[in-house]
Amino acid sequence: MPDTPWEALRRGDRRALARCITQVASGHNLETVRSLGPPVKPARVVAITGSGGVGKSTLIGKLIEQLRHQGRTVAVLACDPESPLTGGALLGDRFRMGSTVDDGVYIRSLAASPGRQAIADHLDAIIRICEEFGFDVVIVETVGAGQGDTAVRSWADLVVLLLQPETGDELQWEKAGVLEVADLIVIHKADLPGAERAAQQVRSALELSGGTTVPVLLVSSRTGKGIAELADRLESLPLRSRHGDAVHAFLDEARRFLDNRLRQPGVAEALDLWRAGHIDIQEALQKLLADPANNRHRNGVASS
Amino acid sequence: MSSEPIRIVLAKVGLDGHDRGIKVVARALRDAGFHVIYAGLWQTVESVVRTVADEDADWLGISILSGAHMTLVPQIMEALRHAGLDHVGVIVGGIIPEADVPKLMEMGVARVFGPGTPMHEIVEFVQSRRSAAHA
Repeated sequence: MPDTPWEALRRGDRRALARCITQVASGHNLETVRSLGPPVKPARVVAITGSGGVGKSTLIGKLIEQLRHQGRTVAVLACDPESPLTGGALLGDRFRMGSTVDDGVYIRSLAASPGRQAIADHLDAIIRICEEFGFDVVIVETVGAGQGDTAVRSWADLVVLLLQPETGDELQWEKAGVLEVADLIVIHKADLPGAERAAQQVRSALELSGGTTVPVLLVSSRTGKGIAELADRLESLPLRSRHGDAVHAFLDEARRFLDNRLRQPGVAEALDLWRAGHIDIQEALQKLLADPANNRHRNGVASS
Repeated sequence: MSSEPIRIVLAKVGLDGHDRGIKVVARALRDAGFHVIYAGLWQTVESVVRTVADEDADWLGISILSGAHMTLVPQIMEALRHAGLDHVGVIVGGIIPEADVPKLMEMGVARVFGPGTPMHEIVEFVQSRRSAAHA
């Protein structure tokens, strides 16, 4: 072997891509992925979720065609459940995504272990590998769960929820956890009767919960209706979930910073000065935020 | 399972539409702890080999009931070699005349399973050959 799969991955070696994903999916070489740092060219990571039979795989097949038509390269990570009893899994999603041989498309079937929320283990690292390879779009198909699989938000840029006509009365849409995760809602199988009514019900449920900015699209994989618009929306919608993670990371760091500063000498003193009315709160905050090293330096100068 | 699951691609190549047998095999392998990637009907030689490569599979199971095995299997074996996938074990199922079995084995097929094969035979064969496939 002239080099490791990781070096070959960066050269665009497809076999290396497959091999690296196998390693990471089973929990090996996670440090190698972490050491890659942020991607040079981040992919747009789209999660497709919805209950079993709603047409996730079929729609992804159509989306692949559309995105390729627009010149985008696409990786699909299709998750199916693994048996808690045997560890076995029947991964049957790629069958419905078409079988064209295209270098711009990579489809990988992954088993989601029981207890994970509808996604395969180490999915964030697997996504990172796809980004390293250079795909423009990474589509993640979740296990057909539906209610409660809110974990998708933490690693996807966009979450697309698929619903279909005739799936219960409007109360179904009011249940917590399903509509909330979505950045975009697709009423799939829109060639069937009742699609428009389902869209209306979902829109009014969204209005009630204040999430009126979530678009609701009518799409049919059978007729092709709405596929192009869906692909356009996936390109144009502002990304937020992974940015949301960045906000959390920032807030965590800010809390650590403040905890640290609050323990510095001089802060209690500033608090006393403010309470006694000698300084205003802005001045007290200035003392809190001031670098303790500079304070010491200034104090040292003042006392000499 | 302590070891990593064996990944096997199951596919039907060519034009026959009989997929009941391969679905039964898929279920048996799943229940034995395999990760079965079901590629389904009407696959081309190219799409099957691409699937094996992209899925980083250890095994490929082909079902052919059309009688075209002496045409299709050599093409698959050659395409696998060409793609650098010599390490992938290949099993063939379906209606294969006795006389063709040694010829298929000579091409590199690990085993041919005819109609009526008990499922545990297939499972045990693939499990026992796991290390061989990775050697």
